[in-house]
Amino acid sequence: MTNSPWINFAGLVMLAIVPYVLAAQGTMLAGRTGLFIVAQEGIMLVGASVGFLGAYHFQNLAAGLGLALLVGGLFGLILAYFTTTLKMDQFVVGLAVFFLGLGLSNLLFKIVIGITLQPPRIPTLKAWSVPFLADIPILGPILFRQNGLVYFSILLSFFLYYVLYYTGTGLALRATGENPKAADSLGVHVTRYRYVTAIFGGMLMALAGAFLPMVYTGTYTDGIVRGRGWLAIALTFFGGWKPHTILLGSFFFAGVEILALRVQVTAIGLPHQFLRMLPYLGTILVMTLAFRGARPPAFLGQNYDRESRTTSS
Amino acid sequence: MTEGMRLRLAVIGRLGRGLLPYLLSFLVAFAVVGLVLALLGFDVWRAYRTILGTSFRTSNGFVQTLIKWIPIVLQALAFTVPLVAGKFNIGGEGQMIVGAIGAAAVGILLADLPLPILLPLLLLTGVLCGMLWVLGPAWLLYRFGVNEILTTVLLNFTAFELIDFVATKIWADPRAGHPTTVAIGAGGMLPLLVTRPPLHSGLLIALAIVIIVYVYTHHTAVGYELLATGANPRAARVFGLPVRRLFLFSLLFGGALAGLSGAIEVAGVHGRLIAGLQSNFLLLGIITGLIAKGNNAAVPFVAFFIAVLEVGASALQRTMAIPGEMTFIVEALILIFVLLNDVVRRYRS
Amino acid sequence: MNEQPLIRMEGIRKAFGPVQALSDVDLTFQAHEVHGLVGGNGAGKTTLMNVLYGLYKPDAGTIYVRGQATTIRSPREALAHGIGMVHQHFLQIPAFTVAENIVLGTPLPARPLMDLSTVEKRIAQLAHHFGLEVDPRARIEDLSMGVRQRVEILKALYRQVQILILDEPTTHLTPQEVDSLFESLRKMVDAGMSVVFITHKLREVMAVCDTISVLRDGRLLLTRPRTELSEAMIVRHMVGTDVDIGRSVLFSGRQQGDEAPTPMPPVLEVQGLWVAGEEGTPVKNITLTVGAGEIMGIAGVAGNGQQELVEGILGLRPTRQQRLWLQGRDISAASTAQRLAAGIAYVPEDRQRDGFLPGASVAYNLILGLHRQTPYSTRRGFLNHRAVTESARQHIAQFHIRTRGPEDIAANLSGGNIQRVMLARALTRPVPLLIAHNPTSGLDIPSVEFIYSRLLERKRQGLATLLLSDDLDELLLLSDRIAVLYRGEIVGILIRSQFDRYQIGRLMSGVSDHD
Repeated sequence: MTNSPWINFAGLVMLAIVPYVLAAQGTMLAGRTGLFIVAQEGIMLVGASVGFLGAYHFQNLAAGLGLALLVGGLFGLILAYFTTTLKMDQFVVGLAVFFLGLGLSNLLFKIVIGITLQPPRIPTLKAWSVPFLADIPILGPILFRQNGLVYFSILLSFFLYYVLYYTGTGLALRATGENPKAADSLGVHVTRYRYVTAIFGGMLMALAGAFLPMVYTGTYTDGIVRGRGWLAIALTFFGGWKPHTILLGSFFFAGVEILALRVQVTAIGLPHQFLRMLPYLGTILVMTLAFRGARPPAFLGQNYDRESRTTSS
Repeated sequence: MTEGMRLRLAVIGRLGRGLLPYLLSFLVAFAVVGLVLALLGFDVWRAYRTILGTSFRTSNGFVQTLIKWIPIVLQALAFTVPLVAGKFNIGGEGQMIVGAIGAAAVGILLADLPLPILLPLLLLTGVLCGMLWVLGPAWLLYRFGVNEILTTVLLNFTAFELIDFVATKIWADPRAGHPTTVAIGAGGMLPLLVTRPPLHSGLLIALAIVIIVYVYTHHTAVGYELLATGANPRAARVFGLPVRRLFLFSLLFGGALAGLSGAIEVAGVHGRLIAGLQSNFLLLGIITGLIAKGNNAAVPFVAFFIAVLEVGASALQRTMAIPGEMTFIVEALILIFVLLNDVVRRYRS
Repeated sequence: MNEQPLIRMEGIRKAFGPVQALSDVDLTFQAHEVHGLVGGNGAGKTTLMNVLYGLYKPDAGTIYVRGQATTIRSPREALAHGIGMVHQHFLQIPAFTVAENIVLGTPLPARPLMDLSTVEKRIAQLAHHFGLEVDPRARIEDLSMGVRQRVEILKALYRQVQILILDEPTTHLTPQEVDSLFESLRKMVDAGMSVVFITHKLREVMAVCDTISVLRDGRLLLTRPRTELSEAMIVRHMVGTDVDIGRSVLFSGRQQGDEAPTPMPPVLEVQGLWVAGEEGTPVKNITLTVGAGEIMGIAGVAGNGQQELVEGILGLRPTRQQRLWLQGRDISAASTAQRLAAGIAYVPEDRQRDGFLPGASVAYNLILGLHRQTPYSTRRGFLNHRAVTESARQHIAQFHIRTRGPEDIAANLSGGNIQRVMLARALTRPVPLLIAHNPTSGLDIPSVEFIYSRLLERKRQGLATLLLSDDLDELLLLSDRIAVLYRGEIVGILIRSQFDRYQIGRLMSGVSDHD
């Protein structure tokens, strides 16, 4: 079977969707309960750093992933606590957590590894072939010879779609972001949903970050996330805050990224810097289109206070 | 006790009470980081002395602090002015870079012009370029309601690519190992206020800007409208305020300030365009703005404090091999504790 | 009644910061009865029921459910004990269907695949039984207020509550819908339920309640069977010494003020106003005039275009084909700021959302919309802080705004004081036209009196007022003429001598006069 460049491209795109899907689904889940996370970039950075350091220290990729999940959950917990319980402004808290992640990621790396000329490396994640299906011509190598995280991202999207739209829990979850007071009055634990989705979302974002050193570069550098955290926010809007359309949209983002980063430029004659701008400019365009269409949850960005007295009596 | 004395004491008392949370936050943040440093085996008191004292021990340290203060305070204002109206300009970095590009372009292309013409032209170009770079996000907000946090940030990344291109392909200095352009004309350099150690007159510009911004936001009708818009955009609109135009205006103002900061770095510090001149000024500016809680009168003072910490941070790295990120963590912790303090106060009332 | 009471609340106390909202309230609710909770706004009625429903935690006191002392920590627990509540502002999710809203939070049948058809059938049965017809598949955002209220009630009935609390349920209903609601309540009571009816409207209390309790300032003053009470007795307990009933406007029971002089020079003329409504009701072809010295009332069920009408006049919504004159000047093309400056003052219905700057100072709030006029600003555009503060001090004194001073952060104000700020802003200058939308909603009785007296004062000064209100009684009391708004059109204008509650009610429901 020849390895046509298109198959290569498609395979790379499948890989590339992972950080986008994971971070965006995490954003979507929290957003559906009203929590608008803007700290993705920081959480992904710290996930990358911690994930790498864990894998390096224990010589075990799973350990790195586990550690990243832990830290991501912690960051999610912080976000939930400061906004839901302390009722601070969500954007300000998000920015503060972003800074924290930014500083912590590099700091931890420098403390553990120190300054070296030769960046330490870890083995990258291997691909798993799905038996039988992997041998289908064309589709086989693209879809069924990928690493576990790719499968996880896709399955997760379907799972979330099912939970959100076909279970009572999903209905309640969506209600907390549309009208928390209504949900609360019917006995739905608004606070609990906010905490759970924030923690789970943080874990997904850290996982998205840990994916990068483990699959792409084999090491951690401070520019490894390259704005994907912010792009994930755009993807969430673009996907209309629905898990299945987010998955679809991630292919677009991944496609642009691969085009910009991997494709040899000589054919087009454009300086490579302009090609690297594509993901960001393209996302701005996408955001504009998305803002004219999709409707985010009604209470996105607002905190809920059960005892707030808007009317007296 | 005379009435005048009583009034003065009341003001001092109020000021003191206002500063108390900052003092507390500062102490707690330093204590936390000190603990971490001690656990890692560093000499904590020496670290404290270095981080806080470097700015004041030598004249060079003080001048370095002032030079750092300029971009920090401008970046902070570039963030806080739109914040008054409730908008978040996170694109100060990109606006600064593009402002620097524009200034350097003018400085290189028109290198032979004399100082009284070239320098103002260069600074003006920086301002305009900064405004240009925020115009896209501002217009998208104005016309389609697109959230500006995302669009401004994305243009930061775009600007990184742009400066890389300009510094390596257009006016590259072949002798430099790092993407850098050739020098701008001598007429584009900001004159020095003090020659040893060199302190450029960008300081005067920054001071003027600080005052202008303060007067503008606190003492004009437009400043009132920005504040009202930030407090409740819907109510502002209902009562006749041109809310969307105010959003646009506040973002453009922010972009102008950030662009100016880039031009000043080119004209005062480097004399050329260097990739990476934006350093971490955006982050520091935003942290400053948030610690000052968006109050344009407090910003210059907080910015000075942050500049002191940053100068201390490089000294810390040089002399004690403590990574610069430690300082960043201190700053982030101060921010978090200042914010927490608000919550505690609200809870008690 | 010899039966054991369904609910007994004993010694309930609740404070919000320095304000004591409830002091030692003892109250009992029996099955098979409609119990009215009466009092002015701020008396504590809703607060008390929010405690029963688990939304607020009482500082002291015990609740006995069927004789057992119980702690109710959340609405979920309240519902588990058979206590249901229908709030004044419906707690519904517009994007979801009726069935989804009703079923939210209950264990769903045939988990995990959510099949709502059995649920929908049950809802339809319940609805029919109690006279609360509704389509379970309809989306909430497409329904009228009256139907939405039925959904709120069905939410409780679906959970088989034994005691149903209704907080000011008639606010958004036409007189005919009110009658229909009362019938449904009787059906519930016959079935063995207990209904608690919170209201400040005496007429309704006397019409449907079996037992009546009166609250004032967080204290329970009396609980008696309706047969032992008269309207006058209830009023006296509701207001105590706060209001001189003899000189009261609210309780006078007759129309106020002299008939407006004719002919009245027109202040506001609207011709052919069409306002687009993206989420609300579009307003079609409105033509009306408000004259000097007149109070023009706009009646209608909430959501029939009132907000759109107001915003169209103010220039906040895209309009077409309209001509507007203010005192003879054509303002059709003017911006909102220009229209306000030309002589319009506005008191919005939703004070928090549309008129209030929480993070700013009280002084800044008082000049919103006026900030560019002298003396607040100079011609060059500089703010004159001294003038702003001085005028703020005057307003605070004149309108009894309870605050620490002009520099106090407005977020510290209570709801009633926020309304006073709105009013101070609108009423200080003799502005030719005042547009007031539900100006008294949620206010306590003395404040209501105060507003009524200011509105009548405007009449005497020859100024014009456009008064939009969900409270038909209020309009009947104060207006010179009443125009009825239905589905965005004016379906009738009545002059004072023609005022008839039920006829207006028919117009409000879209029933044509020529039937």
